[in-house]
Amino acid sequence: MAMNTGAADLAQLQATMQAIEVACHAMQMHVNPAAAEATIVSLRESRRPYQACQFIIENSQMANARFQAAGIIRHAALREWGLLEADVRRGLVSFCLCFIMKHATLPDGYVLVKVASLGAQLLKRGWLDFTAAEKEAFFIQVKQAVSGVHGLDVQFVGISFLESLVSEFSPTTSSAMGRPREFHEQCRISLEQDYMKGLYSWVQHAAFNVSNRITEADSEIPEIKVCSAALHLMLQILNWDFQSKKAGENSKRGLDVFCDGKQESNSLRRFECTLVQPGPEWRDVLISSGHVGWLLNFYTALRKKFSCEGYWLDCPLAVSARKLIVQFCTLTGAIFPSDSGHMQRQHLLQLLAGIVQWMEPPDAVSDAIKSGKSESELLDGCRALLSLATVTSPLIFDELLKSLRPYGTLTLLSAVMCEVFKDLMTNHTEEDTWSSEARDILLDTWIVLLMQLDASGHNHSLPAEGISAAADLFAVIVESELKAASESAFNDDDEHDYLQASVTAMDERLSSYALIARAAIGSAIPLLTKLFSERIMRLHQGRGISNPTETLEELYSLLLITGHVLADEGQGETPLVPKEIKSHYANVLEMDKHPVIMLSGSIIKFAEQSLDPVVRTSFFSPRLMEAVVWFLARWSLTYLMPSEESVEHRSSYENCNDALLRSKHPTNALFSFSGENDRGKIVLDIIIRISLSTLVSYPGEKDLQALTCYQLLHGLVKRKSIITHLVTLDSWRDLANAFANERVILSLNAAHQRSLAQTLTVSACGMKTPESSNEYIRSLTSHMTAYLVELSSKNDLKAIAQQPDIILLVSCLLERLRGVARASEPRVQNAIYQMGFSVMNPVLTFLQTYKDESVVVYLLLKFVTDWVEGQIIYLEAQETAAVVEFCMRLLQLYSAHNIGKISVSLSNSLRTADADKYKDLRALLQLLSNLCSKDLVDFASEPIEAYGTNISQVVYTGLHIIAPLITPELLKYPKLCHSYFSLLSHLLEVYPEIIEQLSVEAFSHILGTLDFGLHHQDVEAVDLCLRAVKALASHHYKDRGAGKIGLGSHATSYNDPNGNFHESVLSRLLRSLMQLLLFEDYSTELVSSAADALLPLILCEQSVYQKLASELIERQTNPVFRFRLRNGFQSLTTSNNLSSTLDRINYQRFRKNLHSFIEDVWGFLHIV
Amino acid sequence: MSDEEHQFESKADAGASKTYPQQAGTIRKGGYIVIKARPCKVVEVSTSKTGKHGHAKCHFVAIDIFNGKKLEDIVPSSHNCDVPHVNRTDYQLIDISEDGFVSLLTENGNTKDDLKLPTDDSLLSQIKGGFEEGKDLVVSVMSAMGEEQICALKDIGPKN
Repeated sequence: MAMNTGAADLAQLQATMQAIEVACHAMQMHVNPAAAEATIVSLRESRRPYQACQFIIENSQMANARFQAAGIIRHAALREWGLLEADVRRGLVSFCLCFIMKHATLPDGYVLVKVASLGAQLLKRGWLDFTAAEKEAFFIQVKQAVSGVHGLDVQFVGISFLESLVSEFSPTTSSAMGRPREFHEQCRISLEQDYMKGLYSWVQHAAFNVSNRITEADSEIPEIKVCSAALHLMLQILNWDFQSKKAGENSKRGLDVFCDGKQESNSLRRFECTLVQPGPEWRDVLISSGHVGWLLNFYTALRKKFSCEGYWLDCPLAVSARKLIVQFCTLTGAIFPSDSGHMQRQHLLQLLAGIVQWMEPPDAVSDAIKSGKSESELLDGCRALLSLATVTSPLIFDELLKSLRPYGTLTLLSAVMCEVFKDLMTNHTEEDTWSSEARDILLDTWIVLLMQLDASGHNHSLPAEGISAAADLFAVIVESELKAASESAFNDDDEHDYLQASVTAMDERLSSYALIARAAIGSAIPLLTKLFSERIMRLHQGRGISNPTETLEELYSLLLITGHVLADEGQGETPLVPKEIKSHYANVLEMDKHPVIMLSGSIIKFAEQSLDPVVRTSFFSPRLMEAVVWFLARWSLTYLMPSEESVEHRSSYENCNDALLRSKHPTNALFSFSGENDRGKIVLDIIIRISLSTLVSYPGEKDLQALTCYQLLHGLVKRKSIITHLVTLDSWRDLANAFANERVILSLNAAHQRSLAQTLTVSACGMKTPESSNEYIRSLTSHMTAYLVELSSKNDLKAIAQQPDIILLVSCLLERLRGVARASEPRVQNAIYQMGFSVMNPVLTFLQTYKDESVVVYLLLKFVTDWVEGQIIYLEAQETAAVVEFCMRLLQLYSAHNIGKISVSLSNSLRTADADKYKDLRALLQLLSNLCSKDLVDFASEPIEAYGTNISQVVYTGLHIIAPLITPELLKYPKLCHSYFSLLSHLLEVYPEIIEQLSVEAFSHILGTLDFGLHHQDVEAVDLCLRAVKALASHHYKDRGAGKIGLGSHATSYNDPNGNFHESVLSRLLRSLMQLLLFEDYSTELVSSAADALLPLILCEQSVYQKLASELIERQTNPVFRFRLRNGFQSLTTSNNLSSTLDRINYQRFRKNLHSFIEDVWGFLHIV
Repeated sequence: MSDEEHQFESKADAGASKTYPQQAGTIRKGGYIVIKARPCKVVEVSTSKTGKHGHAKCHFVAIDIFNGKKLEDIVPSSHNCDVPHVNRTDYQLIDISEDGFVSLLTENGNTKDDLKLPTDDSLLSQIKGGFEEGKDLVVSVMSAMGEEQICALKDIGPKN
């Protein structure tokens, strides 16, 4: 078929051009932009607008019109690509190439860039269709341009075309073009294998050729533009995600036998430092050609010219050159031969020799920056060190510099860092200084080095020189932190105000300080001990005389640093004593001489002083107490009563007799201080008494109490070895008593009370017999349940319930019961069941009484949800029946109060009413899911059906009750949407047979939400809906096949007595799904699940499907498209031997069919 | 509970216990608080410290429950705040008079005629619309510190 615009005469092209120009002008001037946009869209959506657009690009005087025309070609060509003839495709690409070469001097650069990227996109779109010769022809044209034979402008344009091309082929920067991932992957591999190296060497030559002229020139010359573009493209190519990288991911060849690949990829993930790993075939281009040497010399030449006009430290050319040099530092992998790292070492040495000039001598460089020199060279130097650290082992890293200087790289690193910290100390108030950036990069460098050490086995440490460098550095770090602390002691800015935020923000930095401290543990611990006792002494000496605030802030800071040095966070696992501490103090056997014990002991002794009310008021400010509690929490996780298992586990983990012997001793010394013995119990007792005092003696200090409840107490009861001792302590009993009886605990934050209740309940497992555990729970909860029962049965409940003090009390008690319920364990299950059982009626009464207090309602629902979650799987049949009945009454009551209710209070509270409802419904859905789980896991002695409980029935009734409350508005909350649809799809997949028993209204409501979900933005929600639809339809199909009723009346279309047509649900869904697939925008990920839903729908509703298909075919006016659509529909249901069964193989076949169907017809169905 | 008792209670609390003291740290978002002698609903609570090593204080942002005005207050978190006793009572709507007053049916069969229609547009239109359609409507009346106002509406189905 010839181009249909082929016959269009010049006049018509002119007219189109004018129309577009007018539209572009209107858009720029903001005159009727909607109409202007419509003009452009109409050309974009028309068939084959290429000739008109090309005409505009070549002839229009308006840059913006040319730009728009290129955009139109892109849109139309990607849409119609499948229909275009080979010569048209080729013509479009070569039009772009010719245009940019011919108009390389065009003043409006953005048009050139747009056309170049259009060319790149089209070339990629046709990459698998073009023959090798065709591609060759395109590339020859580009190569000539890049080589510079057509002048500098064309050379620049050629390079920028390649830049678009590379970024288009790189998966992270490519445009989707509606193609599957495989397509992009194939293109990427093909470009890398066949062209990438060639492209690199073209630009390499281009850069090389212009560089001479640049070094000779004294002023700015046009070559600079070409050269920086070339350097930039080289950088981009080196950033390419090379194939061989994936293959060699785990091998860090040549250099380091101790470092395994796992560690490497871990540290990489952390710092997002891309390694450059092209395969061995790149060796000649990158290494043997002397490329790096040329680059370094070129940069050195540039440095000399920084005084000249047009050149300076941060000029684009210098920046690109430095970036490229840093990038070369990360070169690694199979490009180096297996010569035990010799060649890589040479390569790195060459780079380092160039880079050290940027940083040495550190003090002079730092002074120069302070007096106004740009910091970018130093920062790039730091980045280069980080790169070097990632590709080498600590030993080799240190050795590298030794061949150039009398000291190692670690010493240089430490010296630069000390300068950085010195600068930080003088102006720590300013944010985002060069020194804070340099600090972060250099800290990362240390971490990379030290973590490699960590992974490479415990008997390796830094060389002696490195250890002393780390010790010096740590001393400077602590000094700077303490200085910052005392200077900021009187600051009152909000952002540093509460600990939670500041700890989290500082945490990462402090952990890297800790790594450095542990590398030099022998000097770090005594240093910390000394600093700590100095501060304490100062505090006592100045008591009553001077303001202690500065010292308090220093102590605060010291506690945080010490906590990080001594112990790890654990992240959910029980942290072990850090191995640097273990191995360094292996030979210290006496407890009172063990530096770690001395340090820990003095901190605990200091903390104990907070129990004295007089000392507390003078020193222990809430903030200092926060640090104390945090330290105790962190320390006790590692050191307090470590369980025997973890000791054994550790030795088997190390799997080395030698290490076992050495690790036994320090553990023993530490163990006698805080193990499971009388001393350990004394420490535990102190900690508990401190916790109690923070809860009762610091009224209103929420953050402190949060730390005590969540970090300290939770951490303690997590460990079996601790709770067995805990329950024998008087202090623990005091805590439980205070919880039950003291009013002051009632004024703790409600969530903290919940957590406290949970903690106390968990500790019940430490009792010797199950009976005593259950008895303990009963005594803990009886006063609360008794109060609630009594209150709910009061005659004047309605009147007094709304009093603020009663509301507060009820909410606190509910929070506490919820805390107990969350601690359900088999051992105490019975007592907790009894607790919940006794408040069932009060809960329903309160739900009625407090129907307008959304806060209380939510608490009631959450309590029931948590209680059911903890209990359901253990319940016997009879108990289950009671619980289920209770839940149904709860749901009914809630629904009765909320259906049809419009609540309004003034200003924006409509929104909060919505949010309240959303939270309630989420809790109810959670409750239903919890009930569902009874069907999956059940520890009851007899089946629950014995008492007539049918979980599916129950959950459907529940769904029936709450479904009307779930409105499309509420489904806009993503979490609610997700839990609703996952419950729905679970129900329909597991119990589809119940559907037929639902009433028409209930079912149509559910269907309405399904339909809403199908058109949702969230891919996951749509996927869940598709699964639900699949479950519905396949159930119906299979049931009908077996001669049963399937979905019953829901699945039949009929006319009601009024003559209105009621469509069957399945045909409604079929229609909706077809509409979605053919005419709407959706993620291609969904096609497979859509196929799974569509197949059973088609099988159920054959005739509706046929009708739908023929309607669509009839609607196509273009005979070619009509033919293609008919064929498409034909092969959708027949190709690949599709049969009419619903087995896995058939589903798979249909998935394939649907994919190719969509690919075939989606494009032209979208043409207007 | 008997109707007389209810009557008695609601008269009594117009006097003595209009507010209750409660520790500032325990007042949560969504709770009530008295600021500048007005009953308010708390929409935001933040805590800060008086100086780094000082004590915590709570910063409340709250909305007057009757006129919707925004009020703010800062209180040390260990101190007490006044919390209003906010009561809600449901009445069946009997009539809407032309001057904007409503007639409500109390639990003991009397009518209550001293309340105006609410000012909120959507609630107002729902009440008027529902009433004109002849639906059975129950309105919630919120009262605190001697003031009252219609705050919610529930449609309990068409009149039978």
